[in-house]
Amino acid sequence: MSLEVAIEKNVAGFRLAVEFTADGAPAGLLGPSGSGKTMTLRAIAGLETPNRGRIVLQGRVLFDSEQGINVPARARRIGLLFQNYALFPHLTVTENIAFGLRQVPDAEKNRRVAQQLAAAHLDWLSERYPATLSGGEQQRVALARALAIEPAALLLDEPFSALDTHLRSALERQLRETLESYRGSTLFVSHNLEEAYRVCEKLVVLANGSVAAQGSKEEIFRHPPTLEVARVTGCKNYSRARRVPDGRVEALDWGCTLRVAQQFAKPPGHVAIRANHIRVHPPQKLNLENSGNVFPCWLAAMTETPFRVTLDLRIGAPPTNPADFQLQAEVFKQEWESYRNLPQPWAIELAADRVFLLPD
Amino acid sequence: MNWEAIELSLKLAVCVAGILLAAGLPIAYWVTFSRWRWKFLVEAIVALPLVLPPTVLGYYLLVGLGPRHFAGRVWQSWFGHTLPFTFGGLLVASVLYSLPFAVQPISAGFEGVDRRLIEASWTLGASRLATFFRVILPLSAAGAVTGIVLSFAHTIGEFGVVLMVGGNIPGVTRTVSIDIYDQVQAANYDVANRTALVLLLFSFLVLTTIYGTNRRALSIWRRA
Repeated sequence: MSLEVAIEKNVAGFRLAVEFTADGAPAGLLGPSGSGKTMTLRAIAGLETPNRGRIVLQGRVLFDSEQGINVPARARRIGLLFQNYALFPHLTVTENIAFGLRQVPDAEKNRRVAQQLAAAHLDWLSERYPATLSGGEQQRVALARALAIEPAALLLDEPFSALDTHLRSALERQLRETLESYRGSTLFVSHNLEEAYRVCEKLVVLANGSVAAQGSKEEIFRHPPTLEVARVTGCKNYSRARRVPDGRVEALDWGCTLRVAQQFAKPPGHVAIRANHIRVHPPQKLNLENSGNVFPCWLAAMTETPFRVTLDLRIGAPPTNPADFQLQAEVFKQEWESYRNLPQPWAIELAADRVFLLPD
Repeated sequence: MNWEAIELSLKLAVCVAGILLAAGLPIAYWVTFSRWRWKFLVEAIVALPLVLPPTVLGYYLLVGLGPRHFAGRVWQSWFGHTLPFTFGGLLVASVLYSLPFAVQPISAGFEGVDRRLIEASWTLGASRLATFFRVILPLSAAGAVTGIVLSFAHTIGEFGVVLMVGGNIPGVTRTVSIDIYDQVQAANYDVANRTALVLLLFSFLVLTTIYGTNRRALSIWRRA
């Protein structure tokens, strides 16, 4: 049930060198655009040929540059879900799903197509053409088509990126259910970290063509190994850092000195905290609290969403303009209501067990 | 009216269209999908008849297929006669002359097929040949039809190459366009006029029929 990938590929001005393994649990391939996610997926599917390396799927060598093995895409038995679904426009839903079942006897073919149609709730659309389907329906057909060949691995390339937000959560739930019953390896490419976090157990973070981190999602989110990984996993607040003699850490860009709970042997390069881990309190807290990481802060700008508020804050002195801020805090609206009309400075709390350090 | 010439032209055009359908698909496929760095040379050769004066192409074929040159000698040793001034010679010349009219629209059709559909077909286990017949060809049918119609119509209307390679032998190489020329030379404007009109109407009819059906056939899966 495992997928081992160790490949290198050079294309004009870009070098991809990735190495990771994925077992039965869905693994997420996370990274910004241009980090090599899609190219990695295409290499595994056999649509790109790496310059060097090895790809092994459940003990079967698909690619090995040293032994000269390169199994063609059609013989790899890998289900690939394309970003835009790539449904055949001249074939009906049923014909699309049955496309990869040419070699399968008719009875078995019909059984598998019926099974996929039922599982994806597509029965009533079976004779329709893709152009007449909604984006969500197209995605389900594409997934059903990929699963019908009973692939040894399922590769999903940003499966939700072409969909409206309101469709995403329903389809995401459906995908998670489908993946639970799927027995092969799953690789899920995304640049949306929340999505990847919900769907996957394990994460592989790509940056500039190489693996910046891999491991359990909890570990990667709690203690990202590098600044790059912290950024990719959505951390918005980081500052250059220096350890001071009493063991605390001075955040140079924020103009404050912090207690940090994390054991960290190396000299810290940066200190960071996630926007949703920052707490903001009414001004009274400033007088009560002087042991924790609590500082006076001023509001530079704010962005409202239905349930949350993003506050752009500055520590130490009032901001001169809306862009003059150091930290972004994401707080619940209810909390914000409790201090929004009180005079500034408010109290910003960067809890010692929430801030984390990053090496240089 | 010279029905013999009309019949000969039709026969020639049908044969040319048939041969170019068979030969044009693989050539267009190669031209579209090959990554060979010297591909442009082949593309230029295929497109040559578009810019070459028909008399030049005809001249080289006449000489090259004649008994003094290699190709001509090989043909003669196999079939006992040379190609110029026969229907076979006319066919070879017409196929070459109409080649770009078939290859270019077919190739444009292939290029219009979304690359991801081709890749999806591969990952679903289809071979290159199966992908060609199940995905590429159905999605570029318009290009193939256009290519065949154009080579058919172009063959009916050709003059220079036919005259150079075929001469003007009644029933063998005197096509309808040459017949019209002969009639005009002989000042038989009546006959020339009638033949020309038949040719005009026929060409128009073929083109409208095929373009019309083609559009309907293509719209099947685009209809909501």
